[in-house]
Amino acid sequence: MPTLIVLLVLALFLAAIFTGGYNKQFFERVRSSRTWDWLTTVDHKKIGILYLMAGLFFFIIGGIEATLMRLQLFAPGNELFVGRTFNELLTMHGTTMIFLAAMPLIFAIMNAVVPLQIGARDVAFPFLNSLGFWLFFFGGLLLNLSWIFGGAPDAGWTSYTGLALNEYSPGPGVDFYVLGLQISGIGTLIGGLNFLVTIINMRAPGMTFLRLPLFTWTAFVTSGLILFAFPALTVALLMLMFDRLFGSNFFDYTMGGSTVIWEHLFWIFGHPEVYIVILPAFGIMSDVISTFSKKRLFGYNSMVFATVLIGFLGFMVWVHHMFTVGLGPITNSVFAVATMAIAVPTGIKVFNWLFTMWGGEIQFKTPMLWAVGFIPTFVLGGMTGVMLALPPADYQYQDSYFVVAHFHYVLVGGTVFGLFAGIYYWWPKMFGQMLSERLGKWHFWTFLIGFHLTFFPQHFLGLFGMPRRVFTYQTNVGLERINEISTIGVAGMVIGTIFFLINIVYTLRKGKKAEADAWGLGRTLEWSIPSPPPEYNFAQTPLVRGFDALWVEKEAGNKSMTPSEPLGSIHMPSPSYIPILMSIGFFIAGFGFIVRGIPAAAIGLVVVFAALFLRSFDYDHGYHVEPEDPEKGGKE
Amino acid sequence: MAKENNQAISRKPESAVKHILSFVLMIAFTAAAFYIVVSDVVPSGWVIPLLLVFAAIQVFLQLFTFMHLDQKGTAFYTFFMIAGIFIAVISAVGILLM
Repeated sequence: MPTLIVLLVLALFLAAIFTGGYNKQFFERVRSSRTWDWLTTVDHKKIGILYLMAGLFFFIIGGIEATLMRLQLFAPGNELFVGRTFNELLTMHGTTMIFLAAMPLIFAIMNAVVPLQIGARDVAFPFLNSLGFWLFFFGGLLLNLSWIFGGAPDAGWTSYTGLALNEYSPGPGVDFYVLGLQISGIGTLIGGLNFLVTIINMRAPGMTFLRLPLFTWTAFVTSGLILFAFPALTVALLMLMFDRLFGSNFFDYTMGGSTVIWEHLFWIFGHPEVYIVILPAFGIMSDVISTFSKKRLFGYNSMVFATVLIGFLGFMVWVHHMFTVGLGPITNSVFAVATMAIAVPTGIKVFNWLFTMWGGEIQFKTPMLWAVGFIPTFVLGGMTGVMLALPPADYQYQDSYFVVAHFHYVLVGGTVFGLFAGIYYWWPKMFGQMLSERLGKWHFWTFLIGFHLTFFPQHFLGLFGMPRRVFTYQTNVGLERINEISTIGVAGMVIGTIFFLINIVYTLRKGKKAEADAWGLGRTLEWSIPSPPPEYNFAQTPLVRGFDALWVEKEAGNKSMTPSEPLGSIHMPSPSYIPILMSIGFFIAGFGFIVRGIPAAAIGLVVVFAALFLRSFDYDHGYHVEPEDPEKGGKE
Repeated sequence: MAKENNQAISRKPESAVKHILSFVLMIAFTAAAFYIVVSDVVPSGWVIPLLLVFAAIQVFLQLFTFMHLDQKGTAFYTFFMIAGIFIAVISAVGILLM
């Protein structure tokens, strides 16, 4: 408690120093500062940028953790990071990459693009959008603070309770996992709901469901998956929290609990989760490939069907993560068949991408390179996925590096390549500047080569019997050379990421200004408005007259979209500090529970309820802006 | 769909009687649930099934009178609820059977 007061006083002190002392204008100055603007923004474009920055930050942290692990595995019997430290690294790498890098980067692109693609002025609930971001951010921060306060979680990203209960993992590590993920999970659930409502309710006139760009479709299905999958995680985390903090026995088998229940709950969430992170990547690929092939997406309807089917089947396969638990041959067979069935809609997608490129006027810009690199890489991961779906074979592969190679091929080769394609493709729309093509290509090639060098040999490591999550191996069992190659490959990915960061800095300083139709090939609505878009996005809501709405207008010889409404003042939501206040409340409460300081937790929850109260009696109905008329020489 | 939403604003006015009736019924079911638990009116093996039936009726009352599922333009809500129930049932039955 005294520490808290000291910190608060220090923060006020620093604020005073940097803003010029306390006087009557203090609050005025704070309110008009850029920092305050970003902290309280409810604009989906700014929230998208916040998600992007936070996601890249955690991506780099997770990458550093991975690099440290590979350094430890460079040589047999290495003693760089052993035992618990290695367990912490692998747990935090997995957790950070899935929850704090992949998810926010997906939300970044969804925020930046989905409202523009459907011709909306914002998401359905701008306030909740901001709340979702800040909850995610403070949850992630809480999780990563574990490195400083008493040790990171060390039970793996799946946190199986045979490793995660108090007696197996003493110290606060797993508590940070439980509460950090719980808080950021609330944020994700809010974000998912928001996008469902946005896509259902906010589409421009004429934008029927079967005219939605494929990225919006995948964002829609992903949001549905979030809605149905995250409650299972919430329940599981709550039970684990009670087991660890308050002495309940949901998972303690000596007291009649069941560790298998955790595995079920975790994977009922966890399998849809992998589709949550891969489907938007599929959507990005579809948009990028169709744009840079200058062709309509091949088999649009079948793509939509495949997306929905993958989303549906995603809930029917969770037991394939648990084949070796011993649930019996019938259970295993049913889930094996369901798992292999998913290869069918995925195959539909892959063929549709190939047919889209076939005969197209292909331009190998950086986003297209990522998309083309994605296809063979992802197919490799998919093939090993079908291999793992066979229960008898899975008994051999399970818990070996073969599994590690498989899911890195789908998660890096699929999700990360997809996200990079999306970032390069929509960067001009988000920031109004083109990322450097030259640096982008360096980024792509170093990352691609480094990735395959790292993970392709890991298939063989697994087949030769190297178990995953183990911090060392012995000499003369044929694992040294492959591990060396694998670690050297990491350098490629590190260099690639550094190229990417240089590219961002270079572009922000002297990047080329982007046109409205930044690539000159835009097919969808987001390319019909200036880059970056004005805060109201569309001065006049466009009228959509077909799939690939902008392309339809271009074919008809029109330079811009036909408006569907007269020019008029536009209603905008007001910025709000309540989301960040509420998230700080959750953060304090989470921290209080972790250090077993119930008063601190109570203070945090009081802050949360105070914020809820403030919001309930908030009569601010926003404000109106007058858009500039593009026809009358207004600056576009 | 955008049109459907505009229509939602001008939905037909509802009678207060329906809401009050539903409210009274829900209170009655809640009271009845408490009563059959504390008394021996119902044989003990039947208590839990009966409670579940009461709960199901209350859910329907809630959805149709207070959450307006009986009106037009609710296809999405219905779809998402059915999908959620479907997935929950699959998961629960899956775990119980294993």
